[in-house]
Amino acid sequence: MQSSLTHVRLAGLAVTVGSVVRDFQAEGLAAGQDPAQLARLAKAVGLRERRVAAPGVTALDLCADAAARLLDEAAVDVTSLDAIIFVTQTPDHPQPNNASLLHARLGLSKAAAAYDLSLGCSGWVYGLHQAAMLCGAGAARVLVCAGDTLSRLVDPNDPATAPLFGDAGSAMLVEKTGEATSMHFVFGTDGTGASAIIVPAGGARQPKGAAVADCLHMDGAAVYEFALREAPPAIASVIKLAGWTPEAVNHLVLHQANRFVVSSVARKCGFPEDKVPMNLVEQFGNQSSASIPAAMAHACSEVLQGSRRRLVVCGFGVGFSWGAVALEAGPMIVAPTLAFPR
Amino acid sequence: MTPEQKLDALRADVDVLAAATPETVLSSLPNWDSLAILLVVSHFEHGHQQTVTGAQIRACRSVADLLALLPHKP
Repeated sequence: MQSSLTHVRLAGLAVTVGSVVRDFQAEGLAAGQDPAQLARLAKAVGLRERRVAAPGVTALDLCADAAARLLDEAAVDVTSLDAIIFVTQTPDHPQPNNASLLHARLGLSKAAAAYDLSLGCSGWVYGLHQAAMLCGAGAARVLVCAGDTLSRLVDPNDPATAPLFGDAGSAMLVEKTGEATSMHFVFGTDGTGASAIIVPAGGARQPKGAAVADCLHMDGAAVYEFALREAPPAIASVIKLAGWTPEAVNHLVLHQANRFVVSSVARKCGFPEDKVPMNLVEQFGNQSSASIPAAMAHACSEVLQGSRRRLVVCGFGVGFSWGAVALEAGPMIVAPTLAFPR
Repeated sequence: MTPEQKLDALRADVDVLAAATPETVLSSLPNWDSLAILLVVSHFEHGHQQTVTGAQIRACRSVADLLALLPHKP
């Protein structure tokens, strides 16, 4: 699916990360893994450290912190928000949704809509699209939060998934504008790949209970093949939809799965590495739906605060699901990335 | 690329194949694992612009079988 929306802008973003630092090599050695194999993985995949949420802290807490800081920095009256969209696959409860809980915590108006999107690594792009559509349909200002605590879903004894994930929450302010700016989107889904990233238990099909089924299972090779197969054509399509050339793009921001995946997708797209943030993941881990705003805040903060940039953003992951957007962003508010609790 | 050049390129990109010959049996390598398979997929993609799947790589018995996945270009 392709979609182009006008008169909407990205006004600001903030990211809050987990406060607990996990060192890849130290964790592996403590678990009795072979030092040479750990070094090999660290070098090839780009695993160094990650930030996970402190005990008791959820994606809602991380997003609430990011949202409060963003609204404060933007001097936005919270009652002026027309909607709040929460992208997560690690909500506080099966019911109610995180968006309603955050609605209460931030003190939004009763006239505001609040709903969740159950998406992972592609979710930030879907959240932006939803917000842009709302702005095209009467909303003036929408808050999009995207965050997950996937580090809690992995089997700590699974060396293939346990060291990959960090926890983070993000907030993004999307506003209607009089300027004729456009956002161009490309979306796709391949549901036949659904079993490649899955938490089998915990839903209606298979209630929680068996410890292994409660954990996240990932077929890394299948996910890598999927990313290389689907992300580059989506990126090429969205650049074409925007009427740009690849050379005219200032930054290609990819879901930060790990350095190996980001580097591979960037290479296949023909983008030079200096246009593609990819070092963040070695410091924070794969932050799922928050990884894209985290990469923007980490690598593009100064330029986005001070100038207008052409961005192409692509998220891809669980589903299989992917989404790409081409947009001009900035000058805009980019709050500093902070840990919670501080 | 000659067969020798293809083998050299594969050895350079995939750590566990650094000392491999065409006759090397993949399952005999101590670190022939999911990471090694990813590195081979990446090598084919970026070194030869050829998409292969992990299943194709896993079906190979030897290094020669891996190289045979590449189309012959005179």
